[in-house]
Amino acid sequence: MYNTLIRNILRFIVLLVVQVLVFDNLGFGTYIHPYVYVLFVLLLPFDTPRWRLLIYGFLIGIAVDIFNGTPGLNAAATVFLAFMRPYIIGITTRKSDIEDKNAPSVTEMGLQWFAIYALLLILLHNLVLFWLEAFSIKLLGLILAETLLSAPVTLLLIIIIIYIFKPVKK
Amino acid sequence: MYNLFIFIRKYNAVILFILLEVLCIVMIVQSLPYQSRKMANVSNSITGGVHKTTSNWHDYLHLKSENEALSEHNALLLKRLGCEEVEADAEYYDDIFTYIPARVVNNNIYEMNNYIVIDKGSIDGIEPDMGVICDKGVVGKVVNVSKHYASVMSMLNSYSIISCRFVDNQYVANVVWDNKNYRYGLVKDIPSHIVIKAGDTLVTSGFSNSFPADVMVGTIAEKGDADENMFSTAKLKFSTNFSTLRHVYVVKNNFKSEIDSLCITH
Repeated sequence: MYNTLIRNILRFIVLLVVQVLVFDNLGFGTYIHPYVYVLFVLLLPFDTPRWRLLIYGFLIGIAVDIFNGTPGLNAAATVFLAFMRPYIIGITTRKSDIEDKNAPSVTEMGLQWFAIYALLLILLHNLVLFWLEAFSIKLLGLILAETLLSAPVTLLLIIIIIYIFKPVKK
Repeated sequence: MYNLFIFIRKYNAVILFILLEVLCIVMIVQSLPYQSRKMANVSNSITGGVHKTTSNWHDYLHLKSENEALSEHNALLLKRLGCEEVEADAEYYDDIFTYIPARVVNNNIYEMNNYIVIDKGSIDGIEPDMGVICDKGVVGKVVNVSKHYASVMSMLNSYSIISCRFVDNQYVANVVWDNKNYRYGLVKDIPSHIVIKAGDTLVTSGFSNSFPADVMVGTIAEKGDADENMFSTAKLKFSTNFSTLRHVYVVKNNFKSEIDSLCITH
């Protein structure tokens, strides 16, 4: 329990720093904005209560917002992601599959399942985020383009990050 | 009452979700079109320090090219001083505007509404609505000021409108940004009877109190079509390269309050 808490706090800080100092400054072009900090919410344990998921999502979202000067934008999208997470887990797994599992990570659930789970949630997150940023349905084409291009890039970067920080098996 | 408790317990996650989303939307709406002053002040003072540290590293790595650009600009200024000293007009302008040099500590160009953070704040005399220029041309307008930092709405922002003038024929038009590319903007409200061609130069009109007249904005890259109101648009190439922006000047209008008081009385 204690161990999980420390690990999650560290993960929060590392992802926040990586997001704000690296990915917000990398220019991938007009349409691609990777938001890798969502990995924090994606990796929270299966037994995290839903209200805590929402609070955690809000906290990391608002932290990124404070650095980007966009109050509420990332927070709104990440709260939505946290809200949808149980449903996405519900439609991609059977209850018996996750009973003995700890967290929805690559090591425990396999890369293929994780990629589908993460991609679905990232798509939802990006859709809400780019829509709120544009704040108008007129730019629907732009919003869809940004979402469809950003989500796969985010997924790829997240998987790379997971493999960089993967604990070495003895 | 008991039923209410049961309801809250059963749907606690949904209720919390709705509350948090409403909170976020309120924050977003409050920050439109200008960022909310309070939030930006807090975030400037917390994050300004972090951005300044990373910016210090960045500056070090770009010292050489930055030195070259500054000395080039120096040479240009010296040249101008040499030939225009006798012009009465120029001296008059110097009385109106003061230029405060500042360094860019954080800069976005890929968002839909881009803001720049500079390392000068209220103690350096920066105030909201002051114009910001660099040696290449117009950069944007100050929107928020904290003690040591200020955030600048760059021209790469859907709320940015800069009043401009064609050098060739003196017609005035507005420059906005179409959210697509950080090198190009859009010139709107050009009367369709005036002939424009690619390469035409646009400078600030001097009608706003934020910018002096004749600061370079950009050149026409492509001519657009006229709309139903007989105004045409054109694609503009910014003279400022926002992606390599490091040193800027904040324009202080020494007579701003005087001009503003005149505008209010009429």
